[in-house]
Amino acid sequence: MGTRGKLGQLVRWIDALWRAVSSLREVALETIGLGSDVDHHTEVTFRAVTDAVLPETPALGSEIGDEHVPGGLAIALDEFVVTYVDDGFQLGLPHVGPHGNIQLADPIAHALDFAALALCDRSENESEPSPDRPVSLLDPGEASPEAVRDAAGTFSKLSSKDRLRAISILDEFELSVTPGVDDLFEFDAGLVGQLVVGFTEMIYYSEWQGYDEFTQPPSERVHPNDPAAVQSWRQTGFPGFADGYAALRGYIGTDDGTLGDGETWTTIDSDAASPVRITRQPGSFRENEYDTSDYTEPYPE
Amino acid sequence: MVAESYDAVVVGAGGDGPVAAWKLGEAGLSVLLLEAGPFYGNEQWPKPNEEPGGEASSSTADLSGDLLDEQFTTREFEMINKLLFGPADHERGFWFRKFPGDGAILQCAGVGGTTLHYTGCHPRAYPASIDEQGHWPIDYADLLPYYREVEELCEVTPAPITAKEELFFRGAARAGWEFIDDYNVTGPGYRPQPNAIRPPDAKLHVDAGHDGGFTYPEVRGDTLALGNIAGNPHPRGAPYEEKAKRASNVSFVPAALRTGNVTIRPNAFVTDVRTETALDDSPTATGVAFRDTWTGRTESVEAEVVILAAGAIETPRLWLNTDLPRNEWVGRGLTIHFGDNVMGLWDAADLEGILGKRTVDQHQGQDIAARFDYPGLGMLQTVGTGPGIGAILGFGASASGFAFQNDPDDAPWDTMGRLAGAELKRLLSDYRRMLQILVVSDDRPHKRNGVTVSEALPDEHGPIPLVNYEPSRGDRQRRDELAEIAAEILREAGAAHVHRSDSPPTALHVHSTMRMGKVVDETCEAYDVERLFVADHSALSNGVGGANPTNTGQALAARTADRILERYF
Repeated sequence: MGTRGKLGQLVRWIDALWRAVSSLREVALETIGLGSDVDHHTEVTFRAVTDAVLPETPALGSEIGDEHVPGGLAIALDEFVVTYVDDGFQLGLPHVGPHGNIQLADPIAHALDFAALALCDRSENESEPSPDRPVSLLDPGEASPEAVRDAAGTFSKLSSKDRLRAISILDEFELSVTPGVDDLFEFDAGLVGQLVVGFTEMIYYSEWQGYDEFTQPPSERVHPNDPAAVQSWRQTGFPGFADGYAALRGYIGTDDGTLGDGETWTTIDSDAASPVRITRQPGSFRENEYDTSDYTEPYPE
Repeated sequence: MVAESYDAVVVGAGGDGPVAAWKLGEAGLSVLLLEAGPFYGNEQWPKPNEEPGGEASSSTADLSGDLLDEQFTTREFEMINKLLFGPADHERGFWFRKFPGDGAILQCAGVGGTTLHYTGCHPRAYPASIDEQGHWPIDYADLLPYYREVEELCEVTPAPITAKEELFFRGAARAGWEFIDDYNVTGPGYRPQPNAIRPPDAKLHVDAGHDGGFTYPEVRGDTLALGNIAGNPHPRGAPYEEKAKRASNVSFVPAALRTGNVTIRPNAFVTDVRTETALDDSPTATGVAFRDTWTGRTESVEAEVVILAAGAIETPRLWLNTDLPRNEWVGRGLTIHFGDNVMGLWDAADLEGILGKRTVDQHQGQDIAARFDYPGLGMLQTVGTGPGIGAILGFGASASGFAFQNDPDDAPWDTMGRLAGAELKRLLSDYRRMLQILVVSDDRPHKRNGVTVSEALPDEHGPIPLVNYEPSRGDRQRRDELAEIAAEILREAGAAHVHRSDSPPTALHVHSTMRMGKVVDETCEAYDVERLFVADHSALSNGVGGANPTNTGQALAARTADRILERYF
């Protein structure tokens, strides 16, 4: 607990310091015409996440096909993940964010930097952080390399594998978020891993890319449901959503039991006392007598 | 319209609340069923995520299959966002809940609750978990008539077999396990799922040459297109009550409305239980206060009995946010079926020999249709998912870091941990030649595990639940043994590669936080508060052995309704 508490304090301190610094940086960026809705640091950090979790993989092209080359950045997955994380949770505090949603992308980006620093501190990173890495995540003309270097935190300067290693150690920390002036809440930083890995993967492999705009009201969303229209569907072979499939093979059962009935379609176990088969009709479960008196605990508490 | 008072008010229209409402309504009681989330497929709320719509619904005439078709698109990401626990308004995020580490709790909001996205699995508890583990004050035999009542209304039948189930059964048989055809399972073996899903039309057999559509009335019953986790509106075109999956919104809710005595009020988050205390007596429940999630306005309603059915997280949270007496077990003893995922991948040529085709096609059939039971350990079940849900369940979360950080050595799996990068893309390129097995273990109730609240973390409904869960050594051993059995079954079925997630504690099934024998008595009335009952999975005394809990939760809710009638009406 002590270590955890100290780390929590440290995270809070870094967080507060970072906010002060980043707001100044934002003012500076605004003056040179680089300001945006999403903090540059957050933007660059989520690009680094997407690039590590779902990278462009040229080597897979020759191995399993060209459709497997593009990754998350090719379809602006990073931008949507930021939107999703910012809109995804709410504490219903009326003075916090749009619709009471608690904007988590920014503190998550800082938590990732904190984890990256901890990784380097333990000398568990395999290669040295480099400011060239975040620069390479932006297309030419998107922002000046200087501005990116200014905005980039340690996480985005790590190699892809080291970024994943940094995410792995987040479970050890508490993360605190200050959504409003008087509100403070802490949560296990493990949630960060769940959001930046689990949710990033779920969104990428889901139908998300096919929408014109997912943030529209549900009744106005349009989805082509065309397996060619979603990059990840092209990569997984998922054929899109269907109303049904003529895929029934039958019902499992035995001649001696109550399950399975009618003509046999195939045999599952011909060595059983009563062969187990897949038949045309379901039959029904048996309302059997039961005796639990010989129950033993495999692993007693 | 919601009146000022009712014979009974039920808090939560999830899997279990509608069962109690139906039974009490049938007996002639006036019942108000309050639900925090929206009411899908109801004419009163044509755009339930965009507009406040009507106030309440009391008639099956409001139920619309067409609206359900429109609202339940089966698109996996969209439906997860619709169904997960949050307010109806699509612009607002989920209600935040604190869970340890990188685990997660799966809670749903909406009439139907978690059964909106459950997979229809309706097995009974393992008899030994009730009669031999020492947690339950009642016998398994007491539940039998209620199991039968629930199974009849939900139309529980043996699940149909498609390629992925056949693959699993072949592996289980080759691994030496026995076939079971019992309802009341006392030993290990494999069997089809008892599913609350109407069987598919015979014309959907692989050799029946069906070249038509899959909409009602051309086909009736399940259409074998997954979709249960995403709400399952199949068959499309069917009237509301003819939908194949008998989730509580399709089975018990219409039955409750048909009594003419039940009113359902969605978008109503209950924030307080009202009591009166006579001199030197224990308090008596007299009603509840609830907040409209669209307007923020708080209303209250009086009742002769109050029935909490908000689920194993929200029921204790509500209790702890009221001035109800503090019993040391309120919120304690949480079980979540501490689970895992073990995945098999096949070579196309091998599949050709085993299944007669080069793919498993997990996207066909029912989501979960084959199972392996092991009383004392828990269960295994095959899971078919869309690639998005498959990615987060099977690869996106792990308690042991990334696969590249682990060397499984002589373990029965080739890789273990989270997958990302090229490894993930390579594996998921084989999505159609993959089969996932869900490990569901019989974790036991421990007092340290459960729900607390903190004044420092409120939302608009009061302090939020803080959930703590740390499995015991026994819980881990049970899970590990099941994971090994799963790997062996996959190998015997011919899998070329086996991957284990080593999932963090992820609560798909949540129970036993208001346990019978600890917080509530044998009728599920609170020991410390008269006329206050619990009718949801929180009243279960343990995790029913690791079997899917819906059937037992519903059977217990039906039994509780009978006891309420005996005791107070």
